[in-house]
Amino acid sequence: MDSIRVFWTAAVVSAALCAGCVGTSWASELTIAIGSEPSTLDSQLREDGGERAVSDNIYETLMARTADGALVPGLAAEAPSQQAPTIWRFKLRGGVKFQNDEDFNADSVVASVQRIIDPAFKSEQASYFSTIVKAEKVDNLTVDIVTSGPDPLLPSRMYWMKMVPAKYSSDPAFAAAPSGTGPYKLEAWNRGQNIILKKNPNYWGDKPAIDQVTYSFIAEPGTRLSSLVAGEVDLITNLLPEFVTAVPAYAAVPGLETSVIVLGADNPVTGDARVRMALNLAIDRKALSENLFGGFAKPAQGQLVNPKAFGFNSALSPYPYDPDRARALIKEAGAEGKTVTLVGEAGRWLKDRETIEAVAAYWQAIGINVDTKFFEFGEYLTQLFDKEHRPGAVFVQNSDELLDADRPMTSAYESGASYASNSDADMAAKVKAARMTTDVKERAAIYAEITKHAYDEAYLVPLLNLEDVYGFSKRLEWKPRPDAKLLVKEMSLVE
Amino acid sequence: MTSLASPAGAVRKPWPFAALLAELWNDKAAVAGLSVIVLLLLAALLAPWIAPYDPAAQSIASRLTPPAWLPRGNLEHLLGTDQLGRDVLSRVLYGSRASLLVGVSVVTLAGSFGVVLGLLAGFNGGRVEAMIMRLVDVQVAFPGLLLILLVISVVGPGMGTLIVVLACTNWMIYARMVRAIVLGVRQSPYVEAAEMIGCTAGRVIFRHVLPNLTSPLITLGILEFTNIMLAEAAMSFLGLGIQPPATSWGLDVANGRDYVFVAWWLVTFPGLAIAATVLAINLFANWLRVTTDPQEREKRFARAMAAERRRRRRSR
Amino acid sequence: MAIFILRRIAQGLLVILGVSLVVFVATRLIGDPVKVMLPLSATDTQRAAFEHQLGLDLSLPRQLVDYVGSLIRFDFGDSLWQRRPAMEVVFERLPNTLLLITCSLGCAIMLALPLGAIAALRPGGIADRVTVFGGLFGLSLPQFWLGLLLILVFAVIFKVLPTSGGGSLAHYVLPAVTLGIPSLARLMMLARSSMIDELNQQYIRTARAKGLDFRQVMIGHALRNILSAFITLAGWEFISGLAGYTVVVETVFAWPGLGLTALQAIQRSDLFLLQAIVFTVAVLIVAINVGLDVAQKLIDPRINLA
Repeated sequence: MDSIRVFWTAAVVSAALCAGCVGTSWASELTIAIGSEPSTLDSQLREDGGERAVSDNIYETLMARTADGALVPGLAAEAPSQQAPTIWRFKLRGGVKFQNDEDFNADSVVASVQRIIDPAFKSEQASYFSTIVKAEKVDNLTVDIVTSGPDPLLPSRMYWMKMVPAKYSSDPAFAAAPSGTGPYKLEAWNRGQNIILKKNPNYWGDKPAIDQVTYSFIAEPGTRLSSLVAGEVDLITNLLPEFVTAVPAYAAVPGLETSVIVLGADNPVTGDARVRMALNLAIDRKALSENLFGGFAKPAQGQLVNPKAFGFNSALSPYPYDPDRARALIKEAGAEGKTVTLVGEAGRWLKDRETIEAVAAYWQAIGINVDTKFFEFGEYLTQLFDKEHRPGAVFVQNSDELLDADRPMTSAYESGASYASNSDADMAAKVKAARMTTDVKERAAIYAEITKHAYDEAYLVPLLNLEDVYGFSKRLEWKPRPDAKLLVKEMSLVE
Repeated sequence: MTSLASPAGAVRKPWPFAALLAELWNDKAAVAGLSVIVLLLLAALLAPWIAPYDPAAQSIASRLTPPAWLPRGNLEHLLGTDQLGRDVLSRVLYGSRASLLVGVSVVTLAGSFGVVLGLLAGFNGGRVEAMIMRLVDVQVAFPGLLLILLVISVVGPGMGTLIVVLACTNWMIYARMVRAIVLGVRQSPYVEAAEMIGCTAGRVIFRHVLPNLTSPLITLGILEFTNIMLAEAAMSFLGLGIQPPATSWGLDVANGRDYVFVAWWLVTFPGLAIAATVLAINLFANWLRVTTDPQEREKRFARAMAAERRRRRRSR
Repeated sequence: MAIFILRRIAQGLLVILGVSLVVFVATRLIGDPVKVMLPLSATDTQRAAFEHQLGLDLSLPRQLVDYVGSLIRFDFGDSLWQRRPAMEVVFERLPNTLLLITCSLGCAIMLALPLGAIAALRPGGIADRVTVFGGLFGLSLPQFWLGLLLILVFAVIFKVLPTSGGGSLAHYVLPAVTLGIPSLARLMMLARSSMIDELNQQYIRTARAKGLDFRQVMIGHALRNILSAFITLAGWEFISGLAGYTVVVETVFAWPGLGLTALQAIQRSDLFLLQAIVFTVAVLIVAINVGLDVAQKLIDPRINLA
């Protein structure tokens, strides 16, 4: 009897403890769930999607993109002009202030550029700006940016470089208490829990509709979804296509990512162009996009370049699905029953494992023996970048942040630069030439040539252009952007 | 004592299992446990024959089919299909193999290593014992799972890695137990007598020590087996255990968790399989522990007597 | 006693040394963090330059010297992933894990003693059978699965608790329950069996025969005698939680603790942060172990700890 009393006392105490836990208050501001917590809010340091999601609202760049992806002036007053092949001149918007009251002017631009290219700063973004030699102040609102060679990409690069205040950015406190020119400023950062941004009252542009935004960090897609369904958040990223019916609302937009398989053009089996073509014809991209991605992906048009990017070759269309011809080509090349190693990883990109396994099944079906190998991400990257032993086939998902053909070209086409698997010196020379050609038409023509050549040689198996799918709460109104930026100033709430 | 017990044992010899089975029959939970274990073993052994599909065969067209009894379900896939259109029932059946293989291998490896070191420590004493037991103490105090995660990600995940790593981190408990028993047995009068009349160490080990070790070792092994099974599932869940295209229950729960809202069957069935198996083994082991431990048997007998007495008193 | 404590501490140092060695070797082999850090389209030259900037191209002996230095100073440099001192990250995340373990273990202990005692009152009775079955059931649930089901039921269907993350007290409930159930099961089984043994002891029967109040008997005598074993198990539960067994629960609930941070550091090959985490945890475990031994000796001087 008495022991039962002991038990009940314990039970009541625990119940009281639990009761104290419930009863959180839901304020009316916007809440966004992102996949990972930023490790710093110094926006020039890391290469991290979670950090970008937050600091895209705090900081701004000289160039910006419209909702359609067109490059327009941001903090620059007008489009930059070329003073010489290696010098780009930027006129700056006047009267803009940083959130710590520093003025935005030529000094801030020079400081921002010099800071990010300084090796001692160890920026993970430095590879975006490797062509920049220095920035020079012309007058208070004019800056020249000098590149090592002619660089047609520079305006796009300046869309990626966030402007930081000249003085305060060297303060060690900057990383945890950032200051930009953007529409929102940091209100609180509770490490491990959330980041809260408040409207910047002195913002130079249009006043945003939303007063306060809270970011919470949820790595698991399932948990992220449940937090949306449970009404804890208003916006989640990377919604699985299966769930569009499970959430209150959703929106999709063609995104930056393209999935591709790089074939080893110097390897035994995949060295034969007929085999490479067969591997392309074997895949039913339409079925992949419709069944696996619920229609939230489009068959890639025979190239790795993003349809919205400069250098996209609209003359190419997706490789057709023709398993009979593929089988015939395999037979003709004498590759029946030969083994191709397909290297992949799982969990980094949306449905990566599913895509890879589906591709392997398609290849098996045309008489190729596929040895699918999944590696942990670090080991996968070792294989991806290994110059000595190229895998027969390796899956990659390329993200074209600058919306320009140069980076995908460097990665997957240019022999020896990154993870390209061919030794086509002629094509590599063309990629290099395009990088230095400032004439827009001429440059587009070179890219058209390269993509056509690579299409015919079937160096790559471009799979799908993926769409970004967002889950919304009922009250959120927003049109997602093709550059995947979560700009809160474009969002509004209907109550 | 021993001399008195052995003739009695000899008389009962024709039916040693019958008595045991009768005793087992009294504990319905243990019977249920044993049945589940037998079913599981059959499933693992016969998976290629009883599984309706190849567990890796995908069909993107029929993905996320619900179990047969739900509106959109059909009898072709009794427990539905997963995100790649693979048959969940077949995957659950095949998944039992990974759990059993990892469990048995780890328990065997860790057990043999631990038993050998425990015997060495118990018999040699002195320096050897001190060293072995120090090693045990040090390793017990290691931040276990953190190091396991670290080592697996260095070596590269896979079934082999998992078995070796789990064996390397789970042998200590066997060594400790074996040493304690050996020390206990060696101090008992009959072993002291045997040693005094010149029995070799080998004879002492096989005649006197091992019989005393068998039943506690079996019980410990079974309980450890459940721990290893749960560990395998957890590691596979974290992506550091069994790697696809192989199947494992933990892996399937991990794969299915993103779909938990549209396809609850993906996480439910493999998860249930883990829980049911571990519970079954635990129920059986619980009975076995009590049955094979003389002290526990005594207690159980006393309890039964007391209950009987109470019943009689009440009925009076 | 002093000699005993000194010996335990010496042994603890041995543990820390061993752990440090394993960690050094493992983190050198874990792979190149630079590949994970830079965008995929970075060129080989850019990668090599970045590796040099981080000081990862130093010779192995040189790195070992640096490592020993950081062990002594208890400063492992900047985390590659977080870009701030690794120890700062550890001290920020450690309290979350400690609080979670304390919360779940505290509740488990509070429930285990009364439940075990009730079961022990009448061994073989209904309450006892329910307790034993419940205990075995609790031990059989995979935590990652239980966690998912709890989120589904309490956060999504009934919407009474938050799904994940940290912050308010409500955030503690689901992770603490998930983490605590196996501990509760083990502690309850132990409380039950040792209580049964104690109640069968002669002295309890004597006390009862003397006419002592039943509750006094239970609590006064039996409880004190099972306390030692109970504390050992509770301490072990605490240590294993600290040693990484919270990682599954932290992953499922996005709990900002040390286990999840360690997993993320592994994924990012952040060797400096890993070193800091594992070393800190090893030191803590050794300290708790010594503390437990001493506590045990104080509670029950009969115990031979040699």
